[in-house]
Amino acid sequence: MQMSLADRITAVALAALGLSMTVGGWRMDRLEIRQIHPASIPGLVPMMLGALMVFCAALLWRDATRNQETAAASILTNGSWARLGLTAFACLFYALVLVGWLPYMWATALFVFAFATIFAWPEGGGRPRQIRALAAAALLALATAAGSAYLFSEIFLVRLP
Amino acid sequence: MSALGDLGAALWSLMTPTMLFHAAWSTLLGIVIGSLPGLTATMGVALMTTLTYSLDSTSAILVLICMYVGAIYGGSRSAILLNIPGTPASAATSLDGYPLAQQGRAGYAMGLATAGSMLGTLVGIVLLVVIAPPLAEAALNFGSFEFFWLAVFGIVISGQLTADTTPVKGYIAGILGLMVAMVGSEGIHAQVRFTMGLPELNAGIGLIPAMVGAFGFAEVLNAMWGKAGVLATAKDKSDRILPRLADLWRYRVTVIRSGIIGTLVGIIPGVGEDIGAWASYVAARRGSKEADKFGKGSYEGLTAAETGNSAVVPGSLIPAITLAVPGSASSAVLIAALFIHGIRPGPLIMIEQPQFISSVAAMLILATLLMGLYGMCLTRAFVQVLRVPYAYLMPVVFVLCVIGTYALSQRMFDIWVMVFFGVVGFLLRQMKYPMAPLVLGIILGDLLDKSLRRGLTLSDGDLAPFFLRPMSAAFVILIALSVLANIGWVRRRIAALLSRGRTRDA
Repeated sequence: MQMSLADRITAVALAALGLSMTVGGWRMDRLEIRQIHPASIPGLVPMMLGALMVFCAALLWRDATRNQETAAASILTNGSWARLGLTAFACLFYALVLVGWLPYMWATALFVFAFATIFAWPEGGGRPRQIRALAAAALLALATAAGSAYLFSEIFLVRLP
Repeated sequence: MSALGDLGAALWSLMTPTMLFHAAWSTLLGIVIGSLPGLTATMGVALMTTLTYSLDSTSAILVLICMYVGAIYGGSRSAILLNIPGTPASAATSLDGYPLAQQGRAGYAMGLATAGSMLGTLVGIVLLVVIAPPLAEAALNFGSFEFFWLAVFGIVISGQLTADTTPVKGYIAGILGLMVAMVGSEGIHAQVRFTMGLPELNAGIGLIPAMVGAFGFAEVLNAMWGKAGVLATAKDKSDRILPRLADLWRYRVTVIRSGIIGTLVGIIPGVGEDIGAWASYVAARRGSKEADKFGKGSYEGLTAAETGNSAVVPGSLIPAITLAVPGSASSAVLIAALFIHGIRPGPLIMIEQPQFISSVAAMLILATLLMGLYGMCLTRAFVQVLRVPYAYLMPVVFVLCVIGTYALSQRMFDIWVMVFFGVVGFLLRQMKYPMAPLVLGIILGDLLDKSLRRGLTLSDGDLAPFFLRPMSAAFVILIALSVLANIGWVRRRIAALLSRGRTRDA
């Protein structure tokens, strides 16, 4: 994606955020019942920030169309989408689903094993190399799960999820 | 004399087996974290905050400072050997470090980087001890009006200096951080704001989960997205590790100048080690007799970059301790850690804990000595660290991000916050938004909000004191000048005026 397009999409999203913060600040309780000073209403700074954000979003939109050099630059092109997708999926699945659903030790061991196996898998390697990769991933998974569980539950006295 | 005595006493109090043990492992871990591309100093300090909250305050702060010093120095390893800065702070180091490694002088380059880092930190420590106490005393005269402008100044200057392409992105990052700080119960009337009905947000968004996400999870995604570097293995038999004293003496002016520049950059709120290194590097190139060698393997360039980035560490602690305004992203986490351990940074520090500055200086000295020791002894061993594949490193880092975040208040909600900030941080970084102003915004949001409303209440809604009190006026002028300097037609107008003046003089 080109930077100019990304900047324009972001500018719209940021303007919407700024606008909603301004409206939120304006509609916020002014605590008249507590007879506070009108200049100390809780919505004052959010309103100002929202307005500033709308202004900056407008500047961003203008820059995106004016500055040809940076606008032509592209984003999210210098890496591997497959690696990013797999990493994001594995991490999100571990943090949002596995932790809290399975006991911490199992969830962690499963995540580390899967992650290490996927990314360290010797493509085109012979059976012995693949077995070594699986063994290394299993060892790392057990060590990480048991080590972190011991550290946090026994030393820091944290009740693990 | 009393300052020296305090420093000596503080250093002596750290000479216990437990403290030395904590300093030794945390500095080493810091160097390892810093040397691994994808793991930054801020991430190390944020993760370590979650791992040290059960320690006593002195040990915990010692661990965090050693981690910070070690990580900033450690970044030079991969900058020299891989041409990939281990941390953004070492970007300038790679310009001359990698060519030296390619010429077979990687060992000497690492030795010189070690000496430069040590000297830079020491210059910064001297300035910390000299500047921090009077600054804290001066800050005692600050009222709500001045603190409001201080917070605005921090966001503006950080947004401006850390932005990669346009300062607007820096300002946006700062405002986003301030917006995050608006969530939860506000500090004057305890009114709950923008919680969207989620009771977990009543206390606001925790800085540590947000930081672990923005610097931990985002770095994991970044590292797995990017490409790995190629290790420079060229090695000369004559390559030595200990830098020659003659080289250090020849570059003494560069060292002192870079140390001072680094420290001053550190004092500017939210402007981190990378800017310190670049500013020192550029100044060294301008003042060098061998400017043509810069970028091709110059010893002087390497020394300037490393001295500059390491001097930022003590420099960034000066405003963090005396004003509770972080000088860098890592020191922002340190502020949060200080609060966790019952230490209240800010102008009152000299009254509540007058020994604290000496204590921090002593910790920095200990970290510097250990850094030098490791740097000289383990140069070859660090090369092996760089061979650890991401496939084995990143899942362990992410596990620590998750469990470390959870451990702070034992809420699943904090893990979700961490994940959210990780994804947002990754996207923002890809679109060239700097992270430092965002962090600064989260830290300074409360101060800005309370100071503005308190000031307006004190002045009965009158804006005049915000502009007419001497310190406030100085801040306003500084902010206005720095914003105006970024507006194209203002710059062109000033340049035209200056050139007209010169022509008239001629």
